[in-house]
Amino acid sequence: MLMKRKLLHTPEGVRDIYNRECARKLILQESLHELLRQYGYHAIETPTFEFFDIFSKEIGTTPSKDLYKFFDREGNTLVLRPDMTPSIARCAAKYYGDEPFPVRLCYMGNTFINNSSYQGRLKESTQLGAELIGDNSVDADAEILALVVNALKTAGLQEFQVGVGHVGIFQGLVQAAGLEEEAEQELVSLISNKNFFGVEELVGSLHMPGELKELFSMLGSLCASVDMVTRAKKLASSFPTILNALERLEQLMETLAHYGVGKYVSIELGMLGSYQYYTGVIFAGYTFGSGEPVVKGGRYDRLLAHFGKDAPSIGFAVVTDQLLAALSRQKIKIPVRDNGTLVVYTEAKRAEAIQEASALRAQGKWVSLARWEKDKPQADYLAYAKRMRMPDVLFIG
Amino acid sequence: MRYLTFALGKGRLAKQTLEAFEKIGITCQEMKDKDTRKLIFVNEALKLKFFLAKGPDVPTYVEYGAADIGVVGKDTILEEGRNIYEVLDLGFGKCRMCVCGPKEAVELLQHQELIRVATKYPRIAKDYFYNKKRQTVEIIKLNGSIELAPIVGLSEVIVDIVETGSTLRENGLGVLEEICPLSARMVVNQVSMKMENERITKLIYNLKEIL
Repeated sequence: MLMKRKLLHTPEGVRDIYNRECARKLILQESLHELLRQYGYHAIETPTFEFFDIFSKEIGTTPSKDLYKFFDREGNTLVLRPDMTPSIARCAAKYYGDEPFPVRLCYMGNTFINNSSYQGRLKESTQLGAELIGDNSVDADAEILALVVNALKTAGLQEFQVGVGHVGIFQGLVQAAGLEEEAEQELVSLISNKNFFGVEELVGSLHMPGELKELFSMLGSLCASVDMVTRAKKLASSFPTILNALERLEQLMETLAHYGVGKYVSIELGMLGSYQYYTGVIFAGYTFGSGEPVVKGGRYDRLLAHFGKDAPSIGFAVVTDQLLAALSRQKIKIPVRDNGTLVVYTEAKRAEAIQEASALRAQGKWVSLARWEKDKPQADYLAYAKRMRMPDVLFIG
Repeated sequence: MRYLTFALGKGRLAKQTLEAFEKIGITCQEMKDKDTRKLIFVNEALKLKFFLAKGPDVPTYVEYGAADIGVVGKDTILEEGRNIYEVLDLGFGKCRMCVCGPKEAVELLQHQELIRVATKYPRIAKDYFYNKKRQTVEIIKLNGSIELAPIVGLSEVIVDIVETGSTLRENGLGVLEEICPLSARMVVNQVSMKMENERITKLIYNLKEIL
């Protein structure tokens, strides 16, 4: 018995999802997928594991030590995908290599990160997302951000915020200020900790023009106003990388207004990209009840070139498990349909019961059949139906 | 308005934090009652909640969003390595993380010799020796009275917090190398920082002003 009990455990970081939770997850995924279809995205499935090179350092995804790696018979190193975007990029380069117009792909699948320091954090998690490939316009950025907002609304969230930044701002600042690697690393750590007094102090101790110092001080704002962006643009007038990034964000906000989702989106000048392959606009969506972003994404204009297609692209991924956790902690219900009927029949009425079940199924009911065991009273079957969440019970006997 | 919840590291740190908060008009009368058995203290007027937790647990509460804001030592933040924002150096509770040991041990730190290091902070010790000094060491985790280790021959050196260094001196030990300065920090949950940005930013600015 003890041995059997032991067999029931799952390894740390993975878990079973069953019953109501599984039903809710499927409904959520289906409604999000329907939303992506409405925007013209085509579903794609890629393998769970791929060659190591797809997720290597050059591509710039999860660090190698956090990947699940193993070997095939020929000795190639294989990796369980830590995120979907590199796989989708590979697919797009392979199957749409000659397509001169944009390609819209969406996906859902489990991703795997072997990070031991994430105590109590899942190692396998479901991601659902979309990639708009071969379009470097601000329109593409706006479409993806509108999708992000609408995805969170579709999920049932009312209170959430999507922060949007641009990797060009920090990169441009580092270039313009001619920072040494050490100072840059220090700044990255201060900015990612949102320790903006620390940033101010460090920047204050370095030699750089006053415009740059003021720009660095603006990185702290998590919700930059129109005035602030205007001011930043003025300060950045002789630094094209920063200026272009700021103008892009401004255009993006203007375009988003047409989608009517502007109030959920705010400009975060100090946002840093989570993956190295990001080259432009980056964003993250936050809501109560989840300690970390429920949706992440950004523009990656050079990633597909690694696979032989020069196609600027942008995409996002919803971390479904995080989103579900946030919904349940905010007590937002996902309407699970209870449409089940239990048909209990005696052996003598078998034919009749099967016919009845078929008829009910044709009407759209979810029907389970149960043969009536002679020694069991009706009450047992009523209780059983309740446990299995079937509101209707039909006795044929 | 939503409550903002604070997790404070038990002990001296909590006392100093509350003193600093009082200066910016944040008070919690309930917390001053020494005999109270309450676990959560509320300031209804400002919509704030406070609770005390063991130091190393503060970053955990904040990471998972059980607390929006925490106050905890830099040593704990480094050792726990959680995904949280470290927004402000509060300046009190100052001390240093050091490699300590008897004078003879200085020699052992000059070469790439494999030595034993006893510490309550394995992560900080490992990072220092592996990534900064590039010396391979064997780390022995202890839970208290770290100074004992080199005296009784459990390890050659220790990595520990040094405030005045008097305990070390009394036992014939001294600071051999300094790893980093430490002090109390204010940490914030990633989502709270975004969703309650205005309130939290104001709090940070107010605190910065009185420091």
